[in-house]
Amino acid sequence: MITCLEFRRRVGAEPFTDDAEVAEHRQGCPVCARYQDELRAMDSLIQRALAVDPPAKAERVNAKGASRRRFFAIAASLVAGVAVGSILLVTAPRASVAREVMGHVTREAVESMARTAPLAPDAVAQVLGPDGMRLKPSAGIVTFAARCLFDGRVVPHLVVRTPEGPVTVLVLRHRSIGEPMHLDEQGYTGVVMPAPRGAIAVVGHDVADLDGVAKKVFDAVEFGG
Amino acid sequence: MNRGNGETDRRRRFGTLCESLRPDLLRFAWWLGRDRALAEDVVQESMLRAWKSFDSLTDESKAKAWLLTIVRREFARSFEKKRLELPDVDALVAAESAVLAAPGDARVGEMREAIFRLDADYREPLVLQVLMGYSTKEIAGMMGMQQGAVLTRLFRARAKLRQLLGLAPEAEA
Repeated sequence: MITCLEFRRRVGAEPFTDDAEVAEHRQGCPVCARYQDELRAMDSLIQRALAVDPPAKAERVNAKGASRRRFFAIAASLVAGVAVGSILLVTAPRASVAREVMGHVTREAVESMARTAPLAPDAVAQVLGPDGMRLKPSAGIVTFAARCLFDGRVVPHLVVRTPEGPVTVLVLRHRSIGEPMHLDEQGYTGVVMPAPRGAIAVVGHDVADLDGVAKKVFDAVEFGG
Repeated sequence: MNRGNGETDRRRRFGTLCESLRPDLLRFAWWLGRDRALAEDVVQESMLRAWKSFDSLTDESKAKAWLLTIVRREFARSFEKKRLELPDVDALVAAESAVLAAPGDARVGEMREAIFRLDADYREPLVLQVLMGYSTKEIAGMMGMQQGAVLTRLFRARAKLRQLLGLAPEAEA
């Protein structure tokens, strides 16, 4: 078994490590277990601290301004198609949480849906861990897991591959809703469901029986304290 | 005709990446340089470089890591080009107070400033691990370091944060 010093060295670098030796030491050493819990809590705070609002564009005019404005013009033309789609989404008359969920899912779709390789369980745990949550394998195969900025908060964002198709899962612990809210737009369907703490959104594109898939995913989520 | 469609598709794909990843790139550049104007410059130059070499990105699922690597190289380049002097941290804290502010949550504000005051050697891998979600192996690849060195820096980063926040000191690895 590793020593307390080695345990602390490892969890000090990776508080959410799934190292078997760390887990074994943790079982037999309550003091070190508390230390790891403390580090995990600190990491949650670090996560929130790092998620600054993207720094605003500096209001400056200088010699380099012209080339930068030119870049923005190019970039603006490049993103125009995407922007139009986003505006259409944003202006739709819908509850704000639904609008934000759809906006986030469509914006992130390129990166999140492109990944098809199953993620290692520790990668998923690292994303859900700061919120004290776990996802049981019965949900499906997780191919994308990240902590994303959503509505000013950092939230877990997963893509789960199910037999019915891939779905995006957003864990919104900071948003409370009274009853399930259904989304249906531009081929995307989804549902935002009340959870023991906050809400969980499940969104898919052309997914058969989205409600059934959403329930299966929801049932696979273990909510910590 | 086909060539035109291909170019349009290329632009659309790049535009989508720009839009979705720009906030993260700006955050990363800001945590590297601790200066809003510098972060903006670095990200803009990085996007231009990325556009020029967009064809070298064969797997778009790796776009974020690819762009973050471009940003960190561009940051190093601009640091060298402008011969930026090592700044006074207190002055930086004052200058960047708008970004550091965390209204309504003093603990986040304290932690944010503590991270801000960390040496870049510790700050960068911490941002890549906790904010960007990369493994220590991936961070080692991005930073051109051994994984063991990354682990040491991450350990020390957290130890220093504990120290800066007045928590119980941790034994050095």
